[in-house]
Amino acid sequence: MSARLEIERVEAAYSGTRVLKGVSLDVAPGEFVALLGSSGCGKTTLLRCVSGFVPVAGGAVRMGGRDITHAPPDKREMAMVFQSYALWPHMTVAQNVGYGLRLRGVARAAIAERVAATLAMLKLDGLGERNVTQLSGGQRQRVALGRALAIDPQILLLDEPLSNLDARIREDVRHEIKALQRRLGITTIHVTHDREEAMVMADRIVILDAGQIAQAGPPEEVYNRPVSPFVASFMGANNVVRLDAAMSGGRVRIAAGPHNRETDLTAAGPLEGPVVAHFRSEAARLGVIDEDAVDNALALDGRIVQAAYPGGFWRYAVAVGDRQFLVDDARKLDVGLPARIVLPADALHFFSASEA
Amino acid sequence: MGPTRGISIVLIAPALAMALALFVYPLGYSLIGAFQDRGGAWTLANFVRAWELYRLDTLYTVVIVGVSTLLIAVFSIAIGGYLTLGSSPLARKLLDWIYRWPLFVPFIVAALCMRTFLGRNGMMNNSFVFLGLMDQESAQSFLDWRGIVVTFVWKQTPFVTLMVAGAMLGLDRSTIDAARNLGASRLRVLLEIVVPQIRRTLAVGLILSFVTMMSVLSVPIMLSGQSPSMLTVNMAWRINSIGDYGTANALGFVSYLLTGLAAWFYLREAVRDKAAQGAPR
Repeated sequence: MSARLEIERVEAAYSGTRVLKGVSLDVAPGEFVALLGSSGCGKTTLLRCVSGFVPVAGGAVRMGGRDITHAPPDKREMAMVFQSYALWPHMTVAQNVGYGLRLRGVARAAIAERVAATLAMLKLDGLGERNVTQLSGGQRQRVALGRALAIDPQILLLDEPLSNLDARIREDVRHEIKALQRRLGITTIHVTHDREEAMVMADRIVILDAGQIAQAGPPEEVYNRPVSPFVASFMGANNVVRLDAAMSGGRVRIAAGPHNRETDLTAAGPLEGPVVAHFRSEAARLGVIDEDAVDNALALDGRIVQAAYPGGFWRYAVAVGDRQFLVDDARKLDVGLPARIVLPADALHFFSASEA
Repeated sequence: MGPTRGISIVLIAPALAMALALFVYPLGYSLIGAFQDRGGAWTLANFVRAWELYRLDTLYTVVIVGVSTLLIAVFSIAIGGYLTLGSSPLARKLLDWIYRWPLFVPFIVAALCMRTFLGRNGMMNNSFVFLGLMDQESAQSFLDWRGIVVTFVWKQTPFVTLMVAGAMLGLDRSTIDAARNLGASRLRVLLEIVVPQIRRTLAVGLILSFVTMMSVLSVPIMLSGQSPSMLTVNMAWRINSIGDYGTANALGFVSYLLTGLAAWFYLREAVRDKAAQGAPR
C-alpha cells in the first residue's frame, strides 16, 4: 500500500533565512526518488517538511490526495530512517522494531509475529532479544530500516541512512535496500549527498541547489544531459574549459586558442560566443602531441604535472596554460611529458559562459 | 613515577586534610557516639530510646521525604518534558526562565514564605475565598506535614529539573523524532522514549534531593511545630534542650541508613544497566 506524494511550491525558513524557495515534486506510488545536493542545499529540510518536523511556510504537501501540509508528524503514516539510526538504547531489537505496532494497538502475538518476519526479511534472525547497543553499525542500520518497515508505511523516508556505514558494507546495503523497496513497492524518498548512491538506488534523481530543484530526471539523463554548469559539476564533470564557439553548418565550431586548434564538433546547439565545456576525467583520454588530428573531438595541448594510481587506471593532472585538468588513462606515463587531452564531442557538456 | 607521585600527594594533601578534619572525623565521631553511653561504654541503649520515642517520627520523616521525592520526580519530568517537547517556543522560554527561581531562595526563607502562603488566613486560602472557590469558614491551615511537602517540592523541583532538562536536551533528538514519526504522541514520547533514557540522571537528582530533604531543619521547625516531627527537629531537640548526644547520634545513624538505602538502590540499578549494555558484541 504505497501512496502518491505531491509537493507543491513548498517553502521553508529557519529564523528568517529561506531554505526552500518553492519546491514542487510529484512522486508516483512505488517510485524511488533520491534528493541529491551538497550541504545546505535544503534536501534534508525538504524531507523534514514532508515528515512534519519542519513547518511549511508556504505551498502544500499531499499524500494520496490528502492535504498533510500542517498535520503533526505522528499523524502522517510515514516512516523515516535517520542518519544516526535513532534506535532507542533502552529497548531490545524486537522492542525497537515492534514499537510502531504497539502504538497502533496491535495485539502482542501479532506484534511478535510481524517483528519476527521483519527481522527474518532483514537477516537479523536471532537478534530480537539483543540490546541495540550491542549491534554493529550494519546491524543497527537494518534494525532502523526494520522499525520503519514494520508498520507497513505508505511512504518511506531515508535521511542519509548509509553515510555512517563502512564503504564496503555500504555498497551491499544500497542494493539490498533497493531490492527490498522494489519488492515491497513503497514510495521512497532518499536524501543523500553521495552521487553514486543516488545513481545506483533511485528511479529518479532530484538535484537541489540553494533551495530549488536544479534538475530532476532518471539517473542516466541527469548524468549525461546536465542542464546547468552546477548539475554538470555535481554529477562529476568537474573539469571546466573556456572556449569560443560559433555554429557552422549544423555543427559547433570551436575557435582556435593558445592550446587548441579550430575544431568542428557535433554538439547540441545553438552555441555562440564564449562558452564553458564541462567534462569528466574518465570521459577524456590522453594522446601524444603531433599524433594525427582526431575527428569530432577537441584536443587540448598540455603537460603532465602529476600522476596517481587510484586503482585500475592512472589519473593525471595535466597543465594546459595556467589551468589544470584531471584525466584518466590506462597507460603509465611519466610526469613532465607533453600530453594532449582528447575530448570526444559526446564527452563535453557545453553551457553559455554567462550561465557559469 | 616516584617523584610525580610524591608531588601529587603533596598537591592533594590540603584538600584531603580538610575533608578528613571537617567531614570524616565528625561523621565517624557521631557514628561511634551513637553506640556509646555518656560514660563512653559501648551500648545499644541510644537506639532503644530512639525506637521507643521516635519510631513514629521516623515513619513521618520517611513518608514526607518519600512523597516529596515522588512529587519532585513528577514535576521535574513534566517541566523537563515541556522544555524538550513543548510546541510553543514562547511558553518554553518563559518556563525555562522561571522554573529556576526557587533554587536561589534559602530553605529558611522558603519556609517563611510558605507560612504566610499556607496558613489558615494565608494568601492561598484568601485567594480561594476571593475567587469564590470556598468560604472563609472552611479555610484550614496547611501548616503541617502538607506544608513541609509543598515547601520541599517547591524548593527541590528546580534542582532536579535542572539536571533532568539538561539530560533531556542532551539526548539524540532523532530518537524523539523517530518515535513521533512512528505515531507516538508527545506524552508517550516523554514516558516511553525520553524518561527511560534519562532515568539515571533522574535517579541521581532524586537521591541528592532525598538526602538534602532528610537534613533540612528549618522547614519542619517553622511549618510544623507539633508532634510527630521530622528527625532533624528531634535531633536538634535532644542536643539543644537535653544535651543527649547519644540519642541524637542514633537518630543521625538512622537518617544515614535511610539515605544509604536510597543510594544503594540507585547503585544496584546502575550496575545492572551497565552489565546489560556493556556485554561483548
